[in-house]
Amino acid sequence: MAKVKGDILIDIERCKGCELCAVACPQDSLKLSQKINSKGYHFIVKIEDNCTGCTNCALVCPEGIIKVYRKTLNKKEPVATISNVSKDINITVGT
Amino acid sequence: MRELKLMKGNEAMAEAAIRCGCDAYFGYPITPQSEVLEYLSNEAHKRTGMVVLQAESEVAAINMIYGAAGAGKRAMTSSSSPGMSLMQEGISYIACAEIPCLLVNVMRGGPGLGTIQPSQGDYFQAVKGGGHGDYKLIVLAPSTVQEMVDFVKLSFELAFKWRNPVMILSDGALGQMMEKVELFEQQERIKTIESWATVGKPETRERNVHTSLHMDPEKMEEINIHLQAKYKAIEDEELRFEKINCDDADIILTGFGLVARICQKAASLARERGIKVGVFRPITLFPFPYAELNKLADHAKGFLDVEMNAGQMLEDVKLGVNGKARVEFYGRMGGVIPSPEEILAKIEEKFVGELV
Repeated sequence: MAKVKGDILIDIERCKGCELCAVACPQDSLKLSQKINSKGYHFIVKIEDNCTGCTNCALVCPEGIIKVYRKTLNKKEPVATISNVSKDINITVGT
Repeated sequence: MRELKLMKGNEAMAEAAIRCGCDAYFGYPITPQSEVLEYLSNEAHKRTGMVVLQAESEVAAINMIYGAAGAGKRAMTSSSSPGMSLMQEGISYIACAEIPCLLVNVMRGGPGLGTIQPSQGDYFQAVKGGGHGDYKLIVLAPSTVQEMVDFVKLSFELAFKWRNPVMILSDGALGQMMEKVELFEQQERIKTIESWATVGKPETRERNVHTSLHMDPEKMEEINIHLQAKYKAIEDEELRFEKINCDDADIILTGFGLVARICQKAASLARERGIKVGVFRPITLFPFPYAELNKLADHAKGFLDVEMNAGQMLEDVKLGVNGKARVEFYGRMGGVIPSPEEILAKIEEKFVGELV
């Protein structure tokens, strides 16, 4: 299966800090910020770079202020390179 | 046709104001009710010609209401706790001059500038009169976004029926909460001119004057006696409350607004454990349903009053129960919302083993 890498964009000015997205996130990558927005609410921020783009947060957000971006990594990236033979060999593992 | 929408409490309330034919809104933004002014300034004038104005302060806003409502128009304002405190002088004047208007208080944690999280710390201010003199507001406490919508319409009806300011006592959580609401049809703005409205003097009648200044003490007492008679009549006619599973309950939870919903969850958790718990929710805080509580105290063994303050409605609950049963209190302050589990733990701590 191709690995999916995701990222989210949060409109922090409209966030009221209800933390529903933090509860819904299976990766536990969302947390309330210590800072506040112009209305005075602590807003949500992404603290871990492990988003899978599952869209749970965007679905539960009552304000609809989370945008989810997805990138599918079809290409197998090399995990090791063996040099010093006639030609460089790239080694990839599984899916 | 039913029109269902998912709306934020504040926006739903603003939409209801437009739909019920409100003529004017004067307000000043304050979290957690800024969305009301935001929503109205985008939509209201285009749709119904309703006047929406951001005043320079809350003090100005309430006096603009005094003027607009004095001319017989349907005027309203909304604010949160510190803003409501600023408005108290004007509210007292309006109550004395018997001018109908709608005030919405989306409560936040206090005292002082406090916090922006939900609280119920303005119960005394709203119900017992935060301003000077012997006056009362009709106070309605919604507990769902649907009620925020319905009560706007109801408030204007009550205000004009009794010529008295009406307050909707909501809180920050209800204001920010998104819920399903059923909206009523758009109504025409009312064109009829009330007999007391200051709209210019025709030759056929004496001029109308709105004032709250009466130098003659006898005249002032007369006005006070008239006001008190009116409040008595309101107490007799406008009582509203909700009883949930109270008929067989040993323990009754009392709470208004948002807390009543948390209490319902706590009550169902308690019933799973075999404790018979009911919920009593006053919808009108003035007039307060004292007699109904007293009736419940005949078979209920204990009352637990739950609030998001230090026990303000507790005094009224005790007056209602009048010594017939034990009354305990649980409250969180400063913007913290109690959880159903906390309330259940309190029921078990205070009553289980002794009363049930």
